[in-house]
Amino acid sequence: MFRLFGAANKPAGAFPHLASLPLFAGLSPRELKIVAALVHERGMLAGEVIFDEGEEGQAIYFIHSGEVVICRQGDAGHPIATLGAGAVFGELALVDGGPRSAQARAAAECTLGVMFRGDFLALMESHAAIAAKISFQLVRHYAAIVRRMTAAGARP
Amino acid sequence: MSRPRHAAGPLVWVLVLAATCLLLVVFQKVLWLVVPFLFALIAYYLVLPLQRRLLLRGVSHDAAAVVVSVGIFAVLGLAMAFSMPWFGAQLSALQAGGGRYLEGGVRFLGDTLAWLEANFAFVARAQLGETAMAGLTDHIENFASRHLAGAALTVATWFPSLLLVPFLAFFMLRDGWRFKRFLIRAVPNAFFERTLQLLDQLDRTAKGYFQGLIKLTALDAVCLAAGLWLIGVSSPLLLGIVTAVLAWVPYVGSIAGCLLVVLVAATDHPGSPSVAYAAIALFVAVRLLDDFVFMPATVGRSLHMHPLLTVLMIFAGGAVAGVAGLVLVLPVLGLVAVIGETLGAVLADPRLRARHRSACELLRRQVTRDLPA
Repeated sequence: MFRLFGAANKPAGAFPHLASLPLFAGLSPRELKIVAALVHERGMLAGEVIFDEGEEGQAIYFIHSGEVVICRQGDAGHPIATLGAGAVFGELALVDGGPRSAQARAAAECTLGVMFRGDFLALMESHAAIAAKISFQLVRHYAAIVRRMTAAGARP
Repeated sequence: MSRPRHAAGPLVWVLVLAATCLLLVVFQKVLWLVVPFLFALIAYYLVLPLQRRLLLRGVSHDAAAVVVSVGIFAVLGLAMAFSMPWFGAQLSALQAGGGRYLEGGVRFLGDTLAWLEANFAFVARAQLGETAMAGLTDHIENFASRHLAGAALTVATWFPSLLLVPFLAFFMLRDGWRFKRFLIRAVPNAFFERTLQLLDQLDRTAKGYFQGLIKLTALDAVCLAAGLWLIGVSSPLLLGIVTAVLAWVPYVGSIAGCLLVVLVAATDHPGSPSVAYAAIALFVAVRLLDDFVFMPATVGRSLHMHPLLTVLMIFAGGAVAGVAGLVLVLPVLGLVAVIGETLGAVLADPRLRARHRSACELLRRQVTRDLPA
């Protein structure tokens, strides 16, 4: 009874996973601990829909284990991308909170870390050092996407 | 506060209003727990920014809660130790002059009624002054015998439950986030993001309301104290603080605060009723400023209610749960409205329900894979 809100709620569970994510590269252990306190863990079954295309985006997801496919709504057979452990998705929601641009679905049983947009924005507003490091990594992430898209467009 | 983008229908709003009234009735029955909880919430949201600062410096939740609580107790203890002589002097002056203030108020009322009778024939014909003064004199003479024992008993009953306030506030600081995670863990994946949004909005509404209430009280107290000091009433700061806190009770508290200020003004300047009239004018001006400028900028911002609905619900709160209902109706309505609107949007979304059913089916298939059909 007195352990009701105990060990299961310790934020440190997400700590080692977060340290390996490129988005949080450069954060010190103390800063990672601050971020880990804001991350929720969710387990998904193979085939389970994580979010739908067009849905209001309110969170960013990190894959701790398993595999996730990003596809057009209901078209899991032709994935836009297949992501494995360490990948980040749903990150556009962090920037504009707009509708999801594609559907995300668990391709295999997986464990995800989820950070709510409100918590992320509060962190950005109140912790300049973490904000600068994550913003830089986000820009690098978007730059890589733009490069990939440009390269794909230039290909004959 | 940002609302869910899905507009709630009339059915949701009927349920929200009904749930608010029902909760007020229930809260009135357990007022000994609700009042300390309310004060603890105010204290919690007041010191929460300090705890957040420590958390963002890498301090753990438990350590931050302890540091903030110990720090607040130390500051309050020092403040009380330093202000005790001043408060003692103010209280003993009030105690010594209590009867004098009451007499001054009665004299002011008598003079005002006499003036009204002299100038308006219909007031003189109704013998308003004589009737009112007789009733008032009877009430004052028998006040102690009728109400003092009951008041002492009420204070004795309430004191232990008010001791709960610091404990509740401390555990809210230390374990509030654990409780939030505990709730979130129980939410199915399909509803997860929307639930995060709901909890965030609840937190923002409550924080906006209670922090707004503190700002509103501080603004009211400063304006009243400055005004009372300008017109020459004694103890302006104490009166300003007391009347601003009394204003937490809509309407009734404001009237009680105004009466208090008029009593003091009429007694301090017995020969010049203009000071008491100036105090009434000041009180009305601060109330108007409060309702049209301060309230929308502080508490109102957190609730986003239509003013007509707010006023009607204050009356409804008073009708179903008395003075407690008047105090509790707005925060309860604000929180129930956020829960109702978001739950309405979540549960009425056929896609989310279908996703939840699909996840349940996936789970059922997984756990029964090796079982005979």
